[in-house]
Amino acid sequence: MGLLERDPFLTELSRRLQEGTAGKGSLVLVAGEAGVGKTALIQAFSRTVDGTARLLIGACDPLSTPRPLGPLVDIAAEVGGELDRLLATGEHRHRAFRTFLELLQHPDQPVLVVIEDVHWADEATLDLLRFLGRRIASTRALVVTTHRDDEVGPQHPLRVVLGDLATAPAIRRITLPPLSAAAVGVLAQGSGLDPVALYRQTNGNPFFVTEVLAGDGDGIPPTVRDAVLARLARLSPAARALLDVAAVIGTSVEAALLVAAAGAEEDAVEECLGKGMLRAEVRGYAFRHEMVREAILAELTPQRRMALHRAVLGALRGSEPGPDDLARLAHHAEEAGDRAAVLAYAPAAARQATRLQAHRAAAAQYARALRFAERLDPVERAALLEARAFACYLLGELDAAIQARDEALAIWRRQGNRLKEGENLRWLSRLSWRRGYRSDAERFAQAALEVLERLPPGPQLAMAYSSQAQLRMLAFDADEAIAWGERAIALAEQYEDTETLIHALNNVGTARLVVGDERGHALLERSLQLALEADSEDDVARALSNLGTVAMGMYQVELADRYLTEALAYCIDRDLDANLFCGLGTLTVIRLRQGRWAEAAETAGQVMRRPGISPITYAEVLTALGCLRVRRGDPEVDSALDRALELAASVGELQELGPVYAARAEAAWLAGDLTRAAAEARAAYGLALRCREPWLVGELAYWQMRAGEPPADIPDWIAEPFALQLQGNGQAAADAWYRLGCPYEQARALAESDDPAALRQALDICAQLGARPLAAFATRRLREMGARRIPRGPRPSTRVNAAQLTQRELEIAQLLAAGLRNAEIAERLYLSRKTVEHHVSAVLAKLDATTRTEAAARAAALGIVAPI
Amino acid sequence: MPRYLVERTFDGGLQIPVSAEGAGICLNVVGTNADLGVTWVHSYVSEDKTKTFCVYDGPSPEAIRQAASRNGLPVDRITRVSVLDPYFYQ
Repeated sequence: MGLLERDPFLTELSRRLQEGTAGKGSLVLVAGEAGVGKTALIQAFSRTVDGTARLLIGACDPLSTPRPLGPLVDIAAEVGGELDRLLATGEHRHRAFRTFLELLQHPDQPVLVVIEDVHWADEATLDLLRFLGRRIASTRALVVTTHRDDEVGPQHPLRVVLGDLATAPAIRRITLPPLSAAAVGVLAQGSGLDPVALYRQTNGNPFFVTEVLAGDGDGIPPTVRDAVLARLARLSPAARALLDVAAVIGTSVEAALLVAAAGAEEDAVEECLGKGMLRAEVRGYAFRHEMVREAILAELTPQRRMALHRAVLGALRGSEPGPDDLARLAHHAEEAGDRAAVLAYAPAAARQATRLQAHRAAAAQYARALRFAERLDPVERAALLEARAFACYLLGELDAAIQARDEALAIWRRQGNRLKEGENLRWLSRLSWRRGYRSDAERFAQAALEVLERLPPGPQLAMAYSSQAQLRMLAFDADEAIAWGERAIALAEQYEDTETLIHALNNVGTARLVVGDERGHALLERSLQLALEADSEDDVARALSNLGTVAMGMYQVELADRYLTEALAYCIDRDLDANLFCGLGTLTVIRLRQGRWAEAAETAGQVMRRPGISPITYAEVLTALGCLRVRRGDPEVDSALDRALELAASVGELQELGPVYAARAEAAWLAGDLTRAAAEARAAYGLALRCREPWLVGELAYWQMRAGEPPADIPDWIAEPFALQLQGNGQAAADAWYRLGCPYEQARALAESDDPAALRQALDICAQLGARPLAAFATRRLREMGARRIPRGPRPSTRVNAAQLTQRELEIAQLLAAGLRNAEIAERLYLSRKTVEHHVSAVLAKLDATTRTEAAARAAALGIVAPI
Repeated sequence: MPRYLVERTFDGGLQIPVSAEGAGICLNVVGTNADLGVTWVHSYVSEDKTKTFCVYDGPSPEAIRQAASRNGLPVDRITRVSVLDPYFYQ
C-alpha cells in the first residue's frame, strides 16, 4: 500500500524535480513533528525517480558535536572527483561549496539531493544550506531537506537560516500534517482495534499508529514510547543488547562496527532485522525510525550508557578511523568518561573542523577537551585555551574568547613566559576593541608593548605594533598610526607573517588616506591583494570597506560607489552577512550624497530591520536617515539624530561624531534656529581640528559661518568646496560639488548666490531631488530680490516625463486617464474638439498605445499620471 | 504605528471613476501599501480636486514615500500627526 494522504506532496516534489531538470532548481524544506513520516515521504519519492534521476544523500548526526559538513562529506564520497578532493585537502570550504553548486548546475541527468534531519545540522552544514538556498534557482537540481519543526525553537540555528532564506526565490516549506481520522480508520481495518480510540490516542501520528498496529493488539499504549517499549520487550536479550549498542552508535550503524562493539552473533542481527527493529542499508544498518532509537537511549542507565560508549569507542578505534571519524571519537570518548581519549581526539577533531571553517564545531571540541583538562600540564592547557579563544573569535563569540584568553594569560604569567604573556595581551586588546571596550583595548595594547619590547623582536611584537597602529588610526591620529604601522610592516615582512602584514598595511593605508595622503591607496590595495590570496575573507571585506569609507569621507562618491559595490558583491558571494550589513550602512551614506535618495532610504531600511547591527553602523545609518529627512522636509528628524548622537557618543570617535553633529547643525539651520546650529557645529569642531580631518573641519566651519558665528581658527588645509564657500565664492563651490557628483551640496552652494540664475538652477535641482526646505529657502531669496516668474515647486509632471509628452499633452493624458471623453476634455480645457482629437492621437502614439484604456495604463505605469 | 498626514497636489484634478474600475484602482493602492506596512486610512479632497490631505498609518516617512512612488502618487509634504478629538478632554 502506498502512503496515505501524501499524494499532493509527492506530486509537488515530482513537479519541482521536473522544473529543476528544465533549469529551474528549487529547495524544499519538509517539516513535521517526529514520526509524521518525513523520511517515508522522501523514500517513497526517491523510489519513483529511481533510474531517472541521480540521488545524492547526506545525513546529519544526532551528536552533541556532529561531524562538520557531515552531509557534504557523505555526498562527496559518493560523487568523488574534485569535490571529494577539496574536502580532504585543507582548502577553503568556499571552493567545495562552489564545486558542489557547479555540479548541480551542470549535471548529466536530473539530480535529487536529500539531506535529512537538518535540525541536527552542524554550523558548517547550515552555512551550506544558506549558500545553496540563495543560489538554487540557477541550478538544475531539487534539494530536499527534512527537519523536526517541533524541535526548532526561536533560538535554534536552523531558524536563523530559515529567516535568511525567507526572501530567496525557489524555496518552499512543506509541513506534513498527521493522518486524518479517516486514514487511521483505513490503517486500522482488520486489526480489531477501535479506530476512533486509536486516532484519539495517537493524534494521527503515523509512526505511533503503525507501532500500535504492529503490537500485540491488547490495547493501545498511552504514549509512543510505551508502544515502542512494548515491541522491544518481545525481543530476545541478545537482540535487545545489540540494539542498545546500535542506539549508542547513532542513526547510521556500520555493520562491522556493530559486530565489533556488540560481539553480536548473526542470529541476534537477523532477529532485529526480522522483527523490523533495524533495516538494512548500503553502509550497514539503521533503525526503522529514529524514535525507536531515542526510546532505547532513554531506557539506559547512566552506567550502562557509559559502558556502551566505551565499547563503541574501542571498536571504532580498532577500525582504522579517518579524519571524518574524529568528531564521533571525541563524542564517544566524552560519553565514556575516558579522559585520555578525550584529550587525544577532541583537539584533533577541533583542528579538522577548523580546516573546514566549521568554527563553532571547533570551539565546542576545544571546550570539551578543557572540561577534561584539569590535571593537564598547564602549558598544554594554555595551548587549548588559546586554540579555543581563536575559534570563538572567528565565530564572533568575543566574550567567550576574552574569557579563554584571560585564563591563558594567567597561566603564562605563573609560568613566567613573557613572550606568551605579550601575545595574549595583544589578543586581549584586539578582542576588547572588537567588543567595543575601547579603554580596555588601549590598556591591553600598552601592556603588550611593555612586555614584548623587552624581548627580542618577533611576529608577536609585529602584531602588537599593528594593534597600536589600528587604535591610533581609529582615533584619527595619523602620524602615530603611520609610525607604529610602518614598524609593524617591517617586522611582519622580516618574519613573513602575512596575517600581521595584511592588518598593518590596512591600518597605515587607511591612516594616510584619511589625511589626504594618496600613497595610502597602494598600501590598502596591497593589503587587499594579500587577503584575497590568503582567502582571508574578513580581511578582504575590511580592505574593500575601508577603501570605500575613506573615499566616501572625501565625498568621492563615484569611487566610493565602485569600492562598495565590489565589497558587497564579495560579502554576498561568501555569505558574510555581518560585513554585508556594515557595507550597506556605508552605501546608505554614499547614496545620500549622490542624491539617490529613494535608494538611500531603501538601504537604510534594510540595515535597520536587521538585529545585532554594530553601534557604529547604526549611528552611521541613523545620521544619514536624519539628514535625508531634514533635506526632504520629512518628520522624525530629531528622533533619528538624537539616537544617532547617543550611539556616536558611546563609541566616542570622530568618524561617527563628526557627521552627526554636522547633520544636527544642518537640521537646526534649516529650521531657522541659528544659535543651535552654531552650537552643534562647534561641539565637534575641536575634535575634528585635532584629528586634522579636512572635510569634517570644513563642513563644521561652514555651518558655524552660515549660522553667523564663524570660528576664529579656520586652517588652510580644509577641503576645497568648503573653503570656496567660506570665501564667499558660491559658484566655484557649486562647480566643485558638481564635479564630485553631489547634487544637494551643489544646490546648497548655488542657493547662497546673489545671482537669480544660480538660484533658479538651485530650484531645478531641488525639484529633481524633492528637497523642499532648501527650495523654500531659494524661493524666498528670489522673492526678496524681486525676481518674477518664480517656479511653483516640484510637480509630478516635471519630475517624470518618460514618454516626452509636452505640457499640453500631459494635461490631456491625465484627463484621458480619468475617463473623460474628447468632448468633455475640450470643454474643460477650452479647446476645440478637433484640437483635442489631434492631441489625443499624439498622446496615444507617444505612449505606444492603440486604445485609450491602454494609454491610461501605460501612463499610470510610467508615473506620468496619478492613477487615482 | 505612527500616523502621517500626506499633502498631495494633482494639477489635472483628481478623478476616480465611481465604478468597478475605480474600486479596483483603490484596492490596488491598498495592496501595494500592505507590502510596505503602510495603511491608507482615508483622504480629504479639496473642492476643485487639486489638493488632497491623506491620513496614513505607517512605520516611517520613507515607507510612506515608497508606497506613494509605487502607486504613482505625488507627495508635497508629510507631517507626523496624532489624533486630537474635541471630546478627548471631557
